[in-house]
Amino acid sequence: MTTRRRIAITGIGMVTPVGNDVPTTWANLQAGRSGLATIRHFDASGFPVRIGAEVKNFDAAAVINNSKLLKHSTRSHRFALAAAEEALTDAGIRPTVSDGHRWGFCVGAGMMGVDYRELEIVQKFCAPDGKFQPDGFLAENFPADPVAFCRSQTNSGLALLTRHFGIRGYATAVHTACASGGQALGTALKAMRRGHADFMLAGGFDSMLNPIGLSAFCLLGALSTDNDAPERASRPFDLTRNGFVLGEGAAFLVLENWDSARKRGAKIYAELAGDGNSLSCYRITDSPPDGDGPIQAIRQALADAGSSADEIDYVNAHGTSTQMNDKSECAALRSVFVNQISRVAVSSTKSCMGHLIAAAGAVEAAVCALAIRDGIAPVNANYSQPDPDCDVNIVRAKSQPGKIRAAMSNSLGFGGSNSSLVFRNPSEVDA
Amino acid sequence: MNSPRKIAITGLGVVCGAGRTVEEIFEAIVSGRSAIAPITQFDASRWPVRVAAECNVENKILVTDRKLHKSISRTDIFGIYTAESAIQQSGLLAHREGLDDAATIQFNDRSGIFAGSGGGNYGCNYDFFQAMAESAGDLKKFGEQFAESVNPMWLLRNLPNNVLCHVGIRNHFKGTNACITNHCVGGAMAVAEAAAAVRAGEADRAVAVGHDAPFEPETVFHYHRLGLLSPEMVRPFDRDRSGTVFGEGAASVMLETAEDAETRGAKILGEFLGSGCLTEATGVLDIRPDGDGLSRAIQMALADAEISAEAVGMIVAHGNGTHASDASEAIAIRRVFGENPPPVTGFKWAYGHLIAASGILDLVFALTALRRKIVPGIATLNLTDPEFAPFPVSKTAQQPRSAIALVLCRGFGGMNVALLVRANL
Repeated sequence: MTTRRRIAITGIGMVTPVGNDVPTTWANLQAGRSGLATIRHFDASGFPVRIGAEVKNFDAAAVINNSKLLKHSTRSHRFALAAAEEALTDAGIRPTVSDGHRWGFCVGAGMMGVDYRELEIVQKFCAPDGKFQPDGFLAENFPADPVAFCRSQTNSGLALLTRHFGIRGYATAVHTACASGGQALGTALKAMRRGHADFMLAGGFDSMLNPIGLSAFCLLGALSTDNDAPERASRPFDLTRNGFVLGEGAAFLVLENWDSARKRGAKIYAELAGDGNSLSCYRITDSPPDGDGPIQAIRQALADAGSSADEIDYVNAHGTSTQMNDKSECAALRSVFVNQISRVAVSSTKSCMGHLIAAAGAVEAAVCALAIRDGIAPVNANYSQPDPDCDVNIVRAKSQPGKIRAAMSNSLGFGGSNSSLVFRNPSEVDA
Repeated sequence: MNSPRKIAITGLGVVCGAGRTVEEIFEAIVSGRSAIAPITQFDASRWPVRVAAECNVENKILVTDRKLHKSISRTDIFGIYTAESAIQQSGLLAHREGLDDAATIQFNDRSGIFAGSGGGNYGCNYDFFQAMAESAGDLKKFGEQFAESVNPMWLLRNLPNNVLCHVGIRNHFKGTNACITNHCVGGAMAVAEAAAAVRAGEADRAVAVGHDAPFEPETVFHYHRLGLLSPEMVRPFDRDRSGTVFGEGAASVMLETAEDAETRGAKILGEFLGSGCLTEATGVLDIRPDGDGLSRAIQMALADAEISAEAVGMIVAHGNGTHASDASEAIAIRRVFGENPPPVTGFKWAYGHLIAASGILDLVFALTALRRKIVPGIATLNLTDPEFAPFPVSKTAQQPRSAIALVLCRGFGGMNVALLVRANL
């Protein structure tokens, strides 16, 4: 039997609520510094929830330096462009005219492409009194903007990035709500194993921090309403947790075949070793209390990595800070890790970064790779009152040093899609 | 090395403007009947484009659980209907009935779902118009008032991955899954990814779904402004083609290992052979005139299926009827197949362009055509564009050269997908 291709992570880029690049993000996560604050980039003062995890001081023009590209990009596309650029620079390799067709692209893309200002134009012309009248589009002075239309397509991020970077191979965009980023990386891994790409730019981007996105989550009652103490509002696994904090951002990883990465002397953060996916088939927003669904994803990821619970030293949990999710995820972890559960360090970096929705899984995969490189399990901030339903080994108070042989990242989405990824320390591969 | 697992197709499901069974729609195709007609879903009487292939079946006929209608949108109803038609036809649920508890759990955990979703629409945001009108640009006021006029379940109704969720819940398929939101190629990629998952042993079976309800005033408006829409009909590869026409609906394919299908005595309709999916990196709208992306996707699919171009017996082209796409598609086909390509046809003249559902719907009818040993003609074709004639398209039916069809699908983002399927005759 031919041996399966081993896939290395050789580049990382991030734009997050705690930093506009990898070094800043990673330093802040290790220090447990919060990126959560009162929402600034639109007036959220009338909303039931007024806090969020915004990307701050992001100067798109400075990072991207291409006016045409800026015009064709939404807020979240710009995060994606910056993160992808950082990842490729970090990897020290990028698509060329001669090998662009061997590069693939997989992304977990957010569901919102229409800018609120564009929606306001449609409302003004087609629904001045609130009731939609299609003929409003036909008004002489309707300011039709084909560029805005292009920005709003489900795969416009894919279109923008593949064109900009000259990626001409396998390409896909996925959306399974909060599991999107994890599933994008899993899809990338599998496409590379079957030989459909030799290099991959894979990740996620999202921003639902706009009046419609914020409204949508407020209506569902999924968000923390701790408007007066935003920095403590996201407290995954804590007894007093009361919802998640909506974030935004992007992360991309450069993936390549292990052997060719070694051959070119690339630094390897980790092996992207295994992917597991399942559907909970329970309810659309609720998580199964017994962890059924996430359990299968986690088991599959371990099996796919040729790994076992014994090898995992760190779990970057989905840990949204909602009552149901955290309880369900802990039940799943206990069920899989059994007697290892007290040994495995678990933290949710959403405690500092909030929930980046379709980008969450990609950002958290990047965190796992960095945790392996530096031998540090980042802290689960804001954890003070243990919940008996979340009886796992939470990284509390401060980040925890120690070699990580393998790490796991879980992403559990609305709609019941679950993704679990396993990352292996290069020293364990070469051993 | 074990030989790679062969992928059997054991169930199909379809709904579009031309009908809601494979037989009904195929009959419309072979008799030259198009479902393209005046738009009724909104008053288009003053619009420059007034036609589409609307699906006029009531929601309750497609999905009988009326309670579910409140928490999903129409595209999801199309998707759920076809996925369940395909699952039903495969006989897998009856097979599961006969399993013991442990085997049932195993069966469910090894059953995947792959959806290609249109990924949301413009209209869902209009639910906020009342709150926007009342707050007149005052966001503070909007924030205080939106909850009075917007359904609390708004986000859930509009999740792009609803079909995964509900097909999963209703059928207990709990295995590996994906929701692909890659414009027109979503449905075609759903089949490709589902087959790859089964082939790699990540699942034992998977249903692939593509669903979309792409035409609404805002999309018609923008596509028209971009010159992509015909005001009358789709004429693939015709000299006088003037653009595409929207359709809506869904299609599904049940895939499983050939070994399982044979063991349980299922009727095998065909075999999924391979796929190629890639971008030509041209941005949202542009298409390379030299057919680069599409010809590479075809080569990738042939390599994936381990067959030669000569083995292909017919081609179901994307043929969306726009000038640039059809011209570059003809060039790509010639690049791979030389001067003597197998018969080429396309179906969008009959049921419109279903965007995310288009490729998988074409796959179902490619397989059906192979099984009936006929390459249906393009009823709207008058004169093959001299720019690329001679080209093996025809107004009347042709004969497939073999039992293998190549299905092509293209979309925004420079996306090109090629699928290969063999009919079990």
